[in-house]
Amino acid sequence: MKRKDFLTSIIPLAASMNAVANGKAAVSPDQPTTIPPYLKKGDTVGICCPAGYITAEDIQPALLKLNEWGFNIKAGDTIGKKDFTYGGTDEERVKDFQQMLDDKTIKAILCARGGYGAVRIIDRLDFKKFKYNPKWIIGFSDATVFHSHLNQNYRIASIHSKMCNSFPSDWSKAEPMQQETIESINKCLKGEKMKYLFTPNEKNKTGLASGELVGGNLKTLESLAGSKSDIQTTDKILFVEDTGEYLYSIDRMFWNLKRSGKLEKLKGLIIGGFKIKKDDAGEEFGKTLEEIVLEKVTEYNYPVCFDFPVGHQKNNFALKCGVLHTLGIFLNECRLTEA
Amino acid sequence: MIKIPPYLKKGDMIGITCPAGYMIAAKAQACIKTLQSWGFEVMVGKTLGSRSKNYFSATDEDRRDELQAMLDDKNIHAILCGRGGYGVGRIIDQLDFTKFKKNPKWIIGFSDITVLHAHLFTKIKTASLHAPMASAFKTGQDEFILSWKNAITGKKARYSCAGHPFNKTGTATAELVGGNLSLLAHLTGTPSDINTKNKILFIEDIGEQIYNTDRMLYQLKRSGKLDKLAGLIVGRFTDVQDTERPFGKTVYEVIREIITEYDYPVCFDFPVSHEKENYALKVGVNYTLKISKTKTLLTEL
Repeated sequence: MKRKDFLTSIIPLAASMNAVANGKAAVSPDQPTTIPPYLKKGDTVGICCPAGYITAEDIQPALLKLNEWGFNIKAGDTIGKKDFTYGGTDEERVKDFQQMLDDKTIKAILCARGGYGAVRIIDRLDFKKFKYNPKWIIGFSDATVFHSHLNQNYRIASIHSKMCNSFPSDWSKAEPMQQETIESINKCLKGEKMKYLFTPNEKNKTGLASGELVGGNLKTLESLAGSKSDIQTTDKILFVEDTGEYLYSIDRMFWNLKRSGKLEKLKGLIIGGFKIKKDDAGEEFGKTLEEIVLEKVTEYNYPVCFDFPVGHQKNNFALKCGVLHTLGIFLNECRLTEA
Repeated sequence: MIKIPPYLKKGDMIGITCPAGYMIAAKAQACIKTLQSWGFEVMVGKTLGSRSKNYFSATDEDRRDELQAMLDDKNIHAILCGRGGYGVGRIIDQLDFTKFKKNPKWIIGFSDITVLHAHLFTKIKTASLHAPMASAFKTGQDEFILSWKNAITGKKARYSCAGHPFNKTGTATAELVGGNLSLLAHLTGTPSDINTKNKILFIEDIGEQIYNTDRMLYQLKRSGKLDKLAGLIVGRFTDVQDTERPFGKTVYEVIREIITEYDYPVCFDFPVSHEKENYALKVGVNYTLKISKTKTLLTEL
């Protein structure tokens, strides 16, 4: 009896000591992710600026839509704040985001826009309360820092999607595609199982795979390499997108993924939209995006697809990072389905 | 222990190859003549002035094979990269350093060649030379080209430059590592990544957005490359780009801010750069860095 008491008391201690000794977060990267509670009508969504700045006026279309979906809004202090390119100073952005993380009445945090700045505040945020009361963090581009950090350190799912600056100011005039992508955020938040069908690209590598979906902006993922927010991709389906990069730079970033061991043990690879910066005259790179990607994965057998509707573009559908998905890449059909 | 390749003497051969971007042969002529006038033999690889139609000097295979041949050829005593650009990262894991390890030689270049410097330092434990490349010789033998000659022939360097208001004074003696900031950030997490603990780190860059430089510095910081330095040498940042909405800080302000919490000596505006002012620096060799408000001295041990 005594021995049993003794044993149960030392196991948690040993476990926590092990985590400290490894210098890693106390959460194992192998454990399944926690899915924050889905939202229902009447729940509150917080909006703030962890990176670039936005005016109060520019979030109005998003407010209207979120209201229409049945959500209340809490706009943070950083909305309308401006410190050069940022939505407030680092301190102001930390404070606002921290408040939203800790406020139990806020069920999701929508990043107003990307830009640059999340990495400047990520290590100053305290996720202690958030860990016990996880909520959806929503955004893309620079917000990839959050997706990667939460997945790696806390194993908490998050939503990769458009942000306030992409909500059309006049809904009736928006293209159906744009409406659909915005509506996909609502579906994600309310717990609908997501399913995406997309057009096959003849360069795809066919196959069927299941795994946790992770990813985001390629440049941001590269800039997190070696840091505590660096994502582990083993047995996962990785998606990447980027904008405004030269082909040589895209090539270099894929080498970073490969050389840091992020491509080797994937279940599948999803290439989203890439807005490519035109080569300078006389500096033609001579390889297409497809060629750049395929030469890095020739030795692997997992499915690889191009033209997935995610990226700095209109067809940028909401994706649940950290959630199990099935990727089916066939000659005549491509789909990504939430498990 | 880092191995120091043998220094060059008259009659030794320098191989010129382009492991990354394309370069027309004419741009290397002044360099070849200068090296010959110093008494060196020069062997020019086919990648210089090749028939390549795209960005690279040649295919990955041809660039790799030529560099490999120069690494292995005992008659070649140093390898000068014609230019940087982009491309070393595509072939680095295909290079075989077995023979090179037994017969190390100086590998010379900067910018994209930072990949080689980092890889040689981390994986091969051999020193290399961060220095002007072929096209820099065309404007004559200034002090930077002479620093190249001195470095390769084994004359100990002693560089000084003016102080900078942001300098953090102090003295440090340690191995020197570094290169192009974009490449150092890009190599993070890969097998060529450098461990900067107790080292003097130097950085320079060209054509980057200020926000991106900020992000790269955060990457260095968050991957543990800034907190345990012996010292930091901030070179020049050329052709700095800014966003439509101004970033609001200069690159030097960005760097000053990120190192506020550290006590090691830091100098700004050191002549290592994509411009003319680019002293030859031996990666992996010990230097003493002495920084005051009015002057910076970097002395090779």
